[in-house]
Amino acid sequence: MVKVKIDGVTIEVEPGTSVLAAAEKAGLRIPHLCVVKGIYEGASCRLCLVKTPTGRLFPACAYYVYRDEEFISDSLDLRIERKVNFEFILKFHRMECWLCPRKGNCLLAKLSKELAVEGTPVCAECPLSPEECLLTKGVPCLGPITLSGCDAECVESGGPCWGCRGPISRVDVLENAFSRYRELGIDTETILRKADIFWNSLPEFEVVKKVFNRVRTS
Amino acid sequence: MPWSLLDKCCEKCWHSPKTPCPDFINCSLSGPLCHSDEECAKKRKTRLEQLQHGEKGAKIKVPWTSCTLATGAEAVYQAVVDYISKRGLDITVSISGCYGLDFIDPWLEFVTKGMPTAIYANVKENSVPKLIERYFLDQDVSGAFALKEKTGNAKGEDEVPLLSELDFWRKQYRWVSRNCGIVDPESLEEYIASGGYKGLSRALKMGPDAVIDEIQKSGLRGRGGAGFPTGLKWRITRQQRGTPKYAIANADEGDPGAFMNRLLAESDPFRIVEGLTIAGYAVGASRGFIFVRAEKPLMARRLQRAVEEARKYGLLGTNILGSGFNFDIEVILSAGAFVCGEETALIAAIEGKRAWPRQRPPYPAEKGLWGQPTVINNVETLAHVATIMAEGAEKFAALGSDRTKGTKMFCVTGAVKRTGAYEVPIGVTIRILVEELAGGAPDGVKIKAVQIGGPSGGCIPASLLDLQVDYETLQSAGAIMGSGGVVAISDENCMVDVAKFFLTFTSAESCGKCMPCRVGLRVMWSILDKITQGKGQEEDLEVLKQLAETVRSTSLCALGGTAPNPVLSTLRYFMDEYEAHIKKGVCPANVCAALVTYLIDEDMCIGCGQCAMNCPANAISKLASGKYRIDQSLCVKCGTCYVVCPVRAVKKTSCSGGGGNG
Amino acid sequence: MEGSRRDEVDCASIDDLFQGLRREPHNLLEALRRVQSRYGYLPLEGIKKAAEYVGVPLAQAYSVATFYHQYSLEPVGKYRILVCMGTACHLRGNSLNIEFLRSVLGLKPGQKTTSDGIFSVEEARCFGCCGLAPVVMIQRPEGKNEIVGKANARTLRAIIAKYRRLEGGAG
Ligand SMILES: Cc1cc2nc3c(=O)[nH]c(=O)nc-3n(C[C@H](O)[C@H](O)[C@H](O)COP(=O)(O)O)c2cc1C
Ligand code: SF4
Ligand code: SF4
Ligand code: FES
Repeated sequence: MVKVKIDGVTIEVEPGTSVLAAAEKAGLRIPHLCVVKGIYEGASCRLCLVKTPTGRLFPACAYYVYRDEEFISDSLDLRIERKVNFEFILKFHRMECWLCPRKGNCLLAKLSKELAVEGTPVCAECPLSPEECLLTKGVPCLGPITLSGCDAECVESGGPCWGCRGPISRVDVLENAFSRYRELGIDTETILRKADIFWNSLPEFEVVKKVFNRVRTS
Repeated sequence: MPWSLLDKCCEKCWHSPKTPCPDFINCSLSGPLCHSDEECAKKRKTRLEQLQHGEKGAKIKVPWTSCTLATGAEAVYQAVVDYISKRGLDITVSISGCYGLDFIDPWLEFVTKGMPTAIYANVKENSVPKLIERYFLDQDVSGAFALKEKTGNAKGEDEVPLLSELDFWRKQYRWVSRNCGIVDPESLEEYIASGGYKGLSRALKMGPDAVIDEIQKSGLRGRGGAGFPTGLKWRITRQQRGTPKYAIANADEGDPGAFMNRLLAESDPFRIVEGLTIAGYAVGASRGFIFVRAEKPLMARRLQRAVEEARKYGLLGTNILGSGFNFDIEVILSAGAFVCGEETALIAAIEGKRAWPRQRPPYPAEKGLWGQPTVINNVETLAHVATIMAEGAEKFAALGSDRTKGTKMFCVTGAVKRTGAYEVPIGVTIRILVEELAGGAPDGVKIKAVQIGGPSGGCIPASLLDLQVDYETLQSAGAIMGSGGVVAISDENCMVDVAKFFLTFTSAESCGKCMPCRVGLRVMWSILDKITQGKGQEEDLEVLKQLAETVRSTSLCALGGTAPNPVLSTLRYFMDEYEAHIKKGVCPANVCAALVTYLIDEDMCIGCGQCAMNCPANAISKLASGKYRIDQSLCVKCGTCYVVCPVRAVKKTSCSGGGGNG
Repeated sequence: MEGSRRDEVDCASIDDLFQGLRREPHNLLEALRRVQSRYGYLPLEGIKKAAEYVGVPLAQAYSVATFYHQYSLEPVGKYRILVCMGTACHLRGNSLNIEFLRSVLGLKPGQKTTSDGIFSVEEARCFGCCGLAPVVMIQRPEGKNEIVGKANARTLRAIIAKYRRLEGGAG
């Protein structure tokens, strides 16, 4: 057995255990995405980074301990690196969450919340399936253009999203949302008027309006 | 076929691959050792003399390597052979490697007894007869580029400089490249005659641990980029318990602008084979591999041939030179991917998989090829090994700087007069490389920066040319030594464009396995692209720095880990150029297409029509005055007219306000 | 359409290609190279045979075939024009040269091979002849390469005209 010390917590594990597994055993959570034990251990997502006392970064999922070692799994710089890497992952994700069957049970949405990444819309946390989506019933819900993180409380309690967490600023998501509204015959002017309640003075709101305007005229 | 040094001298010699003699190498040069026979000793002396001047006392050497072939060496060779047979001259024609002096390609070397050996530069096939006549028949060396020695016997000797007095030769220290351009790269006999395989026979007598001690004593560090101490790497591999073990030569030289490995392997392949055999012996490996880059097929063929020759004479195979050491080498050709140079990716490629690097540790020394302990070394490192084992560690350790011993080959390209590969002791200044060896900038331009270390390296401004080339010094300046590519960048180049170029390269070559490199580099690229279009904003530079930091510290392998270096170093030293693009919408070097306008100066235009003929967009038309003018709405800014105009009447300007924000 | 073109290749007699090659997974790269050198590209049938021969799953062979630059899954032009994109060549103007070639040959963005199948224009990695920068290499069908050093619009136009003449077309 070898001793692994993570963030001050010491735990004994079999030699050859990954730092991630050791942390889990110790009840510590290190954000991770790509690892599936026995299936993929290629260390691709670079979210599970941990730091050695000398400052070197390693992915916890693919660093196997054979001797007593010490790691830091949470610090400001680690959080920044994780966040940036997670933003890279989201960069090429289409994020039409209102159409996705995994709603409410989405790893990306959970990690977004955990890493404080502002990227996913409320729909990602919405409990309703795409068929039950309020938009299909003609309800002007702000979910597709609002930042997630609230666990879609409003939809949970039966109403539409009011946009209280502020707008998404990713242009492609806004464009897709606009098309979805139009496709279902929901008036985008109503949407913008509704958004104005919470977003009135936000600079990001200007971006939303600009994008909507552009798509409308093109 | 004349008798060769590798053949039996008489019936008493008992060496063969099956019954190897431990003294084979020494014996073939200064033997016979196991019996004494005047005849046999004389045979060797005559043969050595023959190798020097050719069997007929006169010899012409034609360099047969990628760089000389590209400049027409094949036609020159043909012309030489034709002329000699037409005139019935008694001259041997042989091939050789290349000196690494690209600016004299293709060259010829004439050797004959009693005359100075003469090198002719930039030879054209139609001038061959004249050159041969003058040298061999008139004994006149005038017109030669350089002489190897002076004898006083030939005409015109005074007009021609000695090679050893010329700057680009005098300032070099040819240690590992000593044979390049000298020996026939396809002849094991010539390699041995020049002192080859002495290292291996010495190593086999010393025992593996003593070999590792010797390499550690020499202070040799890996020449593949990271500079890891070679002896230490070997010791770790040797200490592993798993068997079998493997030894790999990394000949996947992929840095654009670096060709020293190609030059070595094409000019002196046996040295690499010998070095790899020594490495295999020291770590206890039974099989070796040489992994060659796909774009360099001649290099692969030369190494393949060297391996076959070595095998034929018992220098590879079972019980090498009677030491009980068994080792064989396979040459493997890559299928093209820059990331294959990374050691774990290279291992995956040899295993027949996608060249995806994997997280280290475990390092290849512990778990490498097929999960077994594996030592991987760069080919230049291995060539050094062979040389050190032959010459002794002290000689090597006497060269170089305090921290890094020995010599290193550098390829100097770009805006210099004399492109080429130069070997110098580590620790010389960049200025010596760029100005004294490579001759400085061509007329009319100035060097404003030097890019060292390829896509993983950085750009160093001209003001720092007095920095020493050495792993640590370069690193602290934001570059790396890498494989030793040095590219001089002139004031005609835009540094933002240079940074973008390297990111284009690295993001295209990213294997795509890990997030920061696959996506991060693309995001960084698009920011630079925006800047070169004149659409950048000041915040972009901060974002760029932050992204670069993340990509650098979190990428899986060193490709991603070093890819931001060109961006970071240009940001550090050439902020003014970034700012000109962003704030003024101007490209100071007139490179970035979106910011450049092409105009024809009608006063200078001579009306030749070259520009109009070559313009792919048909944007140029003739005016009534007979001059030409560019229709800006059709111009695609390809720059062709600028290049083809014989009187330089086409001007580039970078006007401000071209989409800028400032 | 693409598919039918691929399957036209008769790969039945492909086995003699692999002569002398040991049936070991690590020879996959070499097996694929031989297929490519016979057909000029990798037909699906050829990838299957190579995978079968060295004993790896088709998925692995395909992942390898799509990874390395030297393999092409689509037929390439008879003359492959490889434009070096190494540092020295870039600095001395090969990015202009490639644009020039593409527009002279009438290639649309994303198109690699001319519609008559005679030329294809590709970016290539450093050939290690940086002294001749900028360098363009023409791979001829018989396997010989022509290296054009210090290339510019004029020399390239001449080269294309030369090969057009060889093909019997107008200059
Ligand atoms: C992207 C990348 C490319 C590399 N390319 C080469 C190369 O072309 N040649 C080489 O010898 N080493 C290359 N290396 C370094 C090798 O991974 C390894 O460090 C080297 O072969 C070790 O040999 P040495 O100790 O003799 O230097 C590369 C590394 C990376 C990350
Ligand atoms: S850093 Fe780049 S090349 Fe290295 S593993 Fe990651 S994606 Fe591949
Ligand atoms: S830059 Fe190119 S497109 Fe523009 S005029 Fe010159 S040749 Fe024609
Ligand atoms: S979980 Fe993806 S790198 Fe560790």
